[in-house]
Amino acid sequence: MEGGSRIGPGLAAEPNGGLTAGFAPEPGFYDELFEAPGRPRPHAAALVEALERMGPDRLRAAGERRDAIFVQQGITFDATGADDDNPVVDRPFPLDLIPRIIPAGEWTRIKRGLAQRLRALNRFIEDVYHDREIVQDGVVPWELIVTRPAFERAAHRIRPPGGVWCHVSGCDLVRGADGGWKVLEDNVRTPSGISYVLENRIAMTRLLPELFAGYRVRPVNDYPQVLLAALRAVAPAVNPTVVVWTPGPANSAYFEHAFLARQMGVELVEASDLVVHDATCYMRTTDGLAQVDAIYRRLDDAFIDPLAFRPDSLLGVPGLMRCYRTGNVALANAVGTGVADDKAVYHYVPEMIRYYLAEEPILENVKTYMLDDPEQREYVFDNIERLVVKPTGESGGKGVFIGPTATEEQHQAQIDLVKIAPERWIAQETVALSTVPTVSADGTLAPRHVDLRPFAVFGDDIKIVPCGLSRVALREGSMIVNSSQGGGSKDTWILEGDGTGDGFEPVHDVYNPPTMPGMRQAGWAEQQRQQQQERGR
Amino acid sequence: MLARIGHDLYWLGRHMVRAEHTARMLDGLFHSDLQGRPEDPESVTLSWDSMLVIMGVDVPEGVERGSAQRSDVAARLTLDRDTPSSILSCVAAAREGARTLRDTISAEMWEAINTFHLDLQRRDLSTGVRTGPYSIYSYVKERCGLFWGLTSRTMLKDGARAFLIAGGRIESADMVLRMLRVALPPIVEGREDEAPRRDGNALALLHAVGGFQAFMRSAATPPNAEPVARFLIFERGFPDSVAASAESLHDSLVRGDAAWRDSPPILRLARLTADLEFRARAGREALIPAFRLFQHELELVDSEIDERYFSGVAPSAAA
Amino acid sequence: MRFAIQYRCAYGYEQAVSDQHNAVRVQPAETPTQRVDSYELTVTPRARQFNYRDYFGTEVSEFNVWESHDRLLIEARARVTTSVPAPPPETGFDPLAVPDYRDRVEEYLVRDGSGGRVDELARELSAESPLELVRSVCELIPSRFEYRQGVTYVGSTVDDLFDAGAGVCQDFVHLGLILLRRHGVAARYVSGYLFAADADGGEDSVEVDTHAWLEALLPGAGPDGGYGWVGADPTNRRLTGEQHVKIGHGRHYADVPPVKGVYRGAPSSELDVNVRMTKLGG
Repeated sequence: MEGGSRIGPGLAAEPNGGLTAGFAPEPGFYDELFEAPGRPRPHAAALVEALERMGPDRLRAAGERRDAIFVQQGITFDATGADDDNPVVDRPFPLDLIPRIIPAGEWTRIKRGLAQRLRALNRFIEDVYHDREIVQDGVVPWELIVTRPAFERAAHRIRPPGGVWCHVSGCDLVRGADGGWKVLEDNVRTPSGISYVLENRIAMTRLLPELFAGYRVRPVNDYPQVLLAALRAVAPAVNPTVVVWTPGPANSAYFEHAFLARQMGVELVEASDLVVHDATCYMRTTDGLAQVDAIYRRLDDAFIDPLAFRPDSLLGVPGLMRCYRTGNVALANAVGTGVADDKAVYHYVPEMIRYYLAEEPILENVKTYMLDDPEQREYVFDNIERLVVKPTGESGGKGVFIGPTATEEQHQAQIDLVKIAPERWIAQETVALSTVPTVSADGTLAPRHVDLRPFAVFGDDIKIVPCGLSRVALREGSMIVNSSQGGGSKDTWILEGDGTGDGFEPVHDVYNPPTMPGMRQAGWAEQQRQQQQERGR
Repeated sequence: MLARIGHDLYWLGRHMVRAEHTARMLDGLFHSDLQGRPEDPESVTLSWDSMLVIMGVDVPEGVERGSAQRSDVAARLTLDRDTPSSILSCVAAAREGARTLRDTISAEMWEAINTFHLDLQRRDLSTGVRTGPYSIYSYVKERCGLFWGLTSRTMLKDGARAFLIAGGRIESADMVLRMLRVALPPIVEGREDEAPRRDGNALALLHAVGGFQAFMRSAATPPNAEPVARFLIFERGFPDSVAASAESLHDSLVRGDAAWRDSPPILRLARLTADLEFRARAGREALIPAFRLFQHELELVDSEIDERYFSGVAPSAAA
Repeated sequence: MRFAIQYRCAYGYEQAVSDQHNAVRVQPAETPTQRVDSYELTVTPRARQFNYRDYFGTEVSEFNVWESHDRLLIEARARVTTSVPAPPPETGFDPLAVPDYRDRVEEYLVRDGSGGRVDELARELSAESPLELVRSVCELIPSRFEYRQGVTYVGSTVDDLFDAGAGVCQDFVHLGLILLRRHGVAARYVSGYLFAADADGGEDSVEVDTHAWLEALLPGAGPDGGYGWVGADPTNRRLTGEQHVKIGHGRHYADVPPVKGVYRGAPSSELDVNVRMTKLGG
């Protein structure tokens, strides 16, 4: 394993019957790394080469090491299995070792599009709970908004500290057969997954550092600091106390809550640690009560305060809404953002962008049909074998019906289901999700469908850290990528440049450590490389 | 730190010490039991009974007072999952608490507890308890020793550690007092209905707490019942004496409490240790009142700690 | 008419409780036919009050008692002046079918999933005008169900009302709302006080409970001939009048409960609520 200047452009790797030789993109779908069998895209050439040099045995060994590391560290995301009787088991989170690469130019467009979208959503949510101008001007029907389950009457006329509603958002993007990016859905309630992004990068730099050679991958590890800065910026206090509020260790995303609290250096609290006196929120410490100014909460609105919401919620803090209404505590995300999270409201987002920002949307929506409209409903029923039908208020892929892979009986069953409450459903055209080579069960690389969830943080400004959770459907042909439904993930590389490496750049400086008595220098080489990878380029 | 975290650390300390000292106590009693005088079986059986009572465990139904079998008591206190004070239960509770503390204690400390707990679950303890419990108790002592050793080597010396140590020390004081009540009731409680000479018990107890050498080096008298009792109560030089534990408890709380000068439990402890310093110099008639005072005051300290540092937190199941 | 209203709600706890949070909705509303001349809320043990107007426009007062206590007393005193609402006109049903109607009041039109028995009852209703429909609902319900306390409770559903054949004003109103909404009339739940004595002659001061009735959005009943909310009381078979003092409205009881609270402690408590309404001269 020698130091890393890479082979120059134009020299294709010799197919040696190794990893990528047999790989062929699926016709009709856009593969992100390969244009055609044996022909990697320009930005992927260096990666493909490195994979060839590595070979299948080394890849397999890296996979085994990865499994061991993840189990030991306790990184999991519980999967709801096919049958509810199966208890949730600790299994290694499926990080696929082949990364996904997004060159800088593409990322810039994505970033701008997301920031635009987020600004519009923020304005919309504020509008919904205040003057409802977008309704008065006839752009969005009030009937739609007021029937959304996540429309929170308790948020009426509240101005969140800092004026921000969606502090953390994760909009899911997909790439169609033409290579163009579209937004599949907006997640502005409690989007999760960032901890996997961060842990995946650390794992990749440890397991397969040689793949990074020849690329300048933008670092992701400042996300927790970005989040902390945003939380501090919106907090209504000069030297604010920030906490992360978790439902507790039984929650499937607990690992992420603890991870973020640890990385930000703030307390991880549960409901029993918080208490409200009058209109101030405190946490119980061994030195008495300490005032809390900003809470990054990972609970849905309905559970946060038994006085204002569900009275049976043991996960809530009575009186918290009072503190929030009075402006004494900032909640991230704000109460009531779920109204924008709804799949029926999603349909109107391009209009929101035009209405609030007077701009044309940079990123497109996927064509959506509103099933409470009789005409569109008719169309959808007639074409259901081509379409995807989704419940408007769910997240995590629950209840999604895929027309193309269902039987006629199932089509009819779904139609009947929709007829009961059509306003609770939407339908979308299927997007031919792009693919990325992924390690399949037999160790060879095969194309698997992916989506992308970048994370945006809105504090005193919108910051989109150069990263994203690329979720991959591990089963052949499947397009359901949610981790809670058995999907996996890939490390996502946002590049500084376009990845074709204009000019050579030595990736590491040569470093000679002082010799310790009785220690051999050779042992240091491996550590050198990893150290420099993590030094953030 | 969060009251809940402080509370969990405190109880982690308590559970580990309770497990260890229960093992030591059982070990000591076994030892003296084996050396018991065959012509005086009463004196031996009685203490097994009282052991249950003193450990707060119900005497099983249908069993007459005075007839508790050694093997039953040992089994109850070692491996009964339904008895919260059994060694098995204490270690399980310690491990449960340690899970939420993995960001506070070191990874090695966690490993030590986790392995300890899993091992105990896997072993066939029931045979061992009947036939040769020594190996079980010595295993328990070893693992607890490892835990505290790792604590002193790898845990940051901050408020979190202070609460962990505090829990361990208050439990230690409490357990030594219990051991004395089981082994030497006439000396510390003045119960004349028991056999007057308990020297055999005293020696066994001394060995059980690992204080034989310390005693021989510090006391001018042979290890008879009364000197041993005095040693275990008053001798500050011996780390596990009640006085030393109280002093250490006081110092830990001072480290963990920013406003320690106003803290009721700390003030009470300061007064207690000063008072006992005083009484230590008095004659043998001071032993019984000192014993009672310790018991009473420590109980108050415990509830004051709970109120000042952990108020509002749900009490631990094994309280 | 002018009234002095005294609302008193006392909780007694077997074992002392702490960390109690309450949201209280007992303040009379300002409406075109109702004016609040004075209002005051007192809480014992003393607690700081946080007031705001909620989504439905109801005045809410929240407070918190965190130290240990074994009783809680909430007292409100108000003076209001009410006037007789103008009689609503008879109109056809067409104005209800307009999209504008739906759009405005969608949340008061949401169809309930209640089953067969409600459908049956709904079919018994027929009227020439929305106003007549409202009156019919106010006749039908009390003639089918007995007004009786103690058979239903705060969380009861319409099914419970059918099962028991009896209920209180809250249940009557919930059923009334469903029936009206089924026929396309937007209707909302109203909480308030009713001076339940003969307006002329009879006592000047009565003890009552908080009362519930409904409001339906009818064409032509508004200030310029547009839509307007018309009050109707199914428990008392009549449209509302001067003797009804409104607190607030919502989709159902849970949107406008007089007192809602949580506390830390054992769940056993005794509740004693009474309201005294006194008609004032002049």
